[in-house]
Amino acid sequence: MDLALQVVVTGLAAGGVYGIVAIGHSLVFQLTGTVYLALGDLIGLGVFTTLLVAAGTGPITQTNVSSSRYLLALCVGVLVCVVVGAGGYALVVQPFLERGSTVGWIGATLALAFAIHAVIESVFPRSAYVFPDPIPFRRVGEAGFLTLAGASFSVRALYVAAVAFALAGLVAWAVNRTRTGRGLQAITADREGALVVGVPVAWLVPLAFGLAGAVAAVAAVVGAPSAPVSGQTGTLLGVKGLAAALAVRFGPPHYAFAAGALLGLLEAAVATVHLSGFELGPAYSQVLPLAAVLVLLAWRPPAEALEDVE
Amino acid sequence: MSAITTTRRALREAAADARRSWTGAAWLTVAGAGLAALVPFVVPSSVRLDGLAETGYLAVAAVGLGFAVGIGGMPSIAQGAFVGVGAVCAAHLVGSGWPAPAAALVGAAAAAVGGIGVGIAVVRFRAVYVAAATWITTWLFALGLDAFPTVSGGSRGLVVPPRGSPTIHYELALALVAAAMLAHRTLARSSFGLTLQAAAQRPAAAAALGAETARLRLQAFAGAAAAGGLAGGVAVQLLGVADPSSYGPSLSFQLLVAVLVGGAATALGPVVGVLVFAGLSLAADLLGGITGSETGRFGPMLAALLLLAVLTLGGEGIVAAVSSRLRLDRRRSEVGAAESSLTGASLEARALVKRFGGLVALDAFELEIRPGRMLALIGPNGSGKTTALRLLAGTVRPDAGEVRLDETDVTAEPTAQRVRRGLVRTIQSNALFPALTALEHATVGASLRRRHGALRTVLATPKARREARAVRARALAALRVVGLEERADELPESLTGAEQRLLMVASALATGPRVLLLDEPSAGAAPQDLDRLAGVLRALREGGLAILVVEHNVRLVRAVADEVVVLDAGKRLATGTPDEVAANPAVRAAYFGRQAL
Repeated sequence: MDLALQVVVTGLAAGGVYGIVAIGHSLVFQLTGTVYLALGDLIGLGVFTTLLVAAGTGPITQTNVSSSRYLLALCVGVLVCVVVGAGGYALVVQPFLERGSTVGWIGATLALAFAIHAVIESVFPRSAYVFPDPIPFRRVGEAGFLTLAGASFSVRALYVAAVAFALAGLVAWAVNRTRTGRGLQAITADREGALVVGVPVAWLVPLAFGLAGAVAAVAAVVGAPSAPVSGQTGTLLGVKGLAAALAVRFGPPHYAFAAGALLGLLEAAVATVHLSGFELGPAYSQVLPLAAVLVLLAWRPPAEALEDVE
Repeated sequence: MSAITTTRRALREAAADARRSWTGAAWLTVAGAGLAALVPFVVPSSVRLDGLAETGYLAVAAVGLGFAVGIGGMPSIAQGAFVGVGAVCAAHLVGSGWPAPAAALVGAAAAAVGGIGVGIAVVRFRAVYVAAATWITTWLFALGLDAFPTVSGGSRGLVVPPRGSPTIHYELALALVAAAMLAHRTLARSSFGLTLQAAAQRPAAAAALGAETARLRLQAFAGAAAAGGLAGGVAVQLLGVADPSSYGPSLSFQLLVAVLVGGAATALGPVVGVLVFAGLSLAADLLGGITGSETGRFGPMLAALLLLAVLTLGGEGIVAAVSSRLRLDRRRSEVGAAESSLTGASLEARALVKRFGGLVALDAFELEIRPGRMLALIGPNGSGKTTALRLLAGTVRPDAGEVRLDETDVTAEPTAQRVRRGLVRTIQSNALFPALTALEHATVGASLRRRHGALRTVLATPKARREARAVRARALAALRVVGLEERADELPESLTGAEQRLLMVASALATGPRVLLLDEPSAGAAPQDLDRLAGVLRALREGGLAILVVEHNVRLVRAVADEVVVLDAGKRLATGTPDEVAANPAVRAAYFGRQAL
């Protein structure tokens, strides 16, 4: 029981972030029929831009950044994400979609991903960086850990999970209730029709590409202080978010978020579970959940994944 | 016949085949390979032969990937993982004392098994899903190596004693690249490769011709993985270490870049791509040496920029761009002996019902066609004509009723099985493969009854070559029947509307059908070409085929049909000769509305 609570909190903290990324992948797929392979590195770009503005490239401790500078940094990070995400769509996705070249956009989005990755790693060449944490969680409980009914869990993890859920709620609200969100839904349902009735497709789609990255970057920044970050952090988030989105066939936001959360829970469970002396351990936590998604995909392929035979 | 005579004859035939397919480009390739083989003996020792050999091994993996992407239509981002499987496997085996070649081969086999595992998931997928699933695969492999140091050797990697001198590795790499390119080229132009290309270009049309796309793609995917594994398995013996960090997504990406930059559809493309990339990296290193900056990180960046440049400029790759300018690749098919014989069968539909949700698309549909007869199915839009064809061809299953071919119940059989039995359909539109010539279209159809697989084709065994000749003869015969023999080397875009429809008929004919189902053969044909079309259809009927044609053009129907069935709202409205049906008041009402009466 005590272990279960700990697994749930850690799992939801990681899974919440995967869920936000999965929402981004789903949204992009529904809008354009493409998989945004650069989404992970775009998130990485947001995280490292925030780090750059907040603390520069030098070594820092978690606490020596003022909250005003941190907020400024987060805003710059989000802005960069929106600009690069939207620009990336205009430069590397749209031209190939118009040409009908699938291999073209796959190659081009991958190229964008590796280009962003190379930029991040040339500015931040060390293998891991500490991320500043403006909220002093370590002062709560015992060095940041609370004990509840015999279970000890990190307050910071609880906070990350809560922020992720809030962001997911915000996105779901925006998609369903705002004018922009309904415009996006219209494009998803019928692109030509949306154009005819005056939905500004030309700028809504790039905006969605940018926002998908930005919202995910916020979640990633909030989660970043929990562990050292590296150039691979964002890319991996992108991969896991994609796996979650694939598992629910690029479905609606709450499905994608739930799949991401479940992926995180699965990872946490695999990492800690003991079954009558049999222990999988952390090594398997990185591998088994992703493999499970691939097996699921092979076993029950969604109809829209299969090639059209008529 | 003694074994010696047989062998001698087989060799003579092989030599003749080789002479026939020999081109200027082949001379260039042989000369290039010969010069490249001399490199270790003429260049100064300052040239890094081991670096060249490593580039060569990378090219082998790239050629394999090129086949999966360019011919198989599967944009895989997991080739780096298969290279890694081969490398890790070979490193373990060499470490425990296996001989070098055996270790490399087992590495290739392990990668092939991995390829089958991933392939089972992805071969039926659309390109988007192939990319997504292989991207996750390549990460899964990288994370797995990271998580299990006992398998991967941890951050130090698996260190093995290097086997063989750089010169040996260089010559081996060269030989493997040549073998991979030859295999790519042979397969791409074989029945196997043409069917794969057809399926990548128009999945529905290939399926209608009975192509078993998933099985062929699985072979292509596993073959590509094996090429990657072999490359990894030999490279590890050159480098002396299997470093897990080098088999990550970045390698998969660089291999895909090489394939796309050089050109995915040709054998030479991936090799050129790898060479261009190696040259650029070298230039970057030199530049970095002069400016004193660290350049190792710029590899992926260079690859990204290079790829974006090539894709933006047009995306066919360097080799395709150059060869279309030089016209090196011009082929001219000689028209050889062609035989054709037609036999018919009878097709019967009994009480077929198909519902889509609440809509009854077809209700208690009955139909019978006999050999040597042509039946036209007509009716207003949405009356269920195409649904009827789909049910007969096996694209969709009926909710009730049965389809019988020569008294055999085929209702439960899939399309591919029915095509093998001789029940073949042409589809309404978009059924031509834009990048295949007319003869290649017919070859896709004619490949259906092939028995020998990809492996025999690569090895060019006498049986495989004999079969290839027979397939070609069937394809040519089909073109001759519809009168497109002279247009054998044309692409669909340079054919007229009527010729395009005739080519679709020819592809179907090449499968050796007994019953032909034609969906709107006159669509897109100019009015003055209708007589030509009608002539071909009559010839087929007189040859003994049973033909069902769905057609809007009344002139064509009156010219060719023995009997007409009129459908309205999923029900059979009238039956009779064209004249009887034309005079039927109920038919007129269905077409022109009640008021017209």
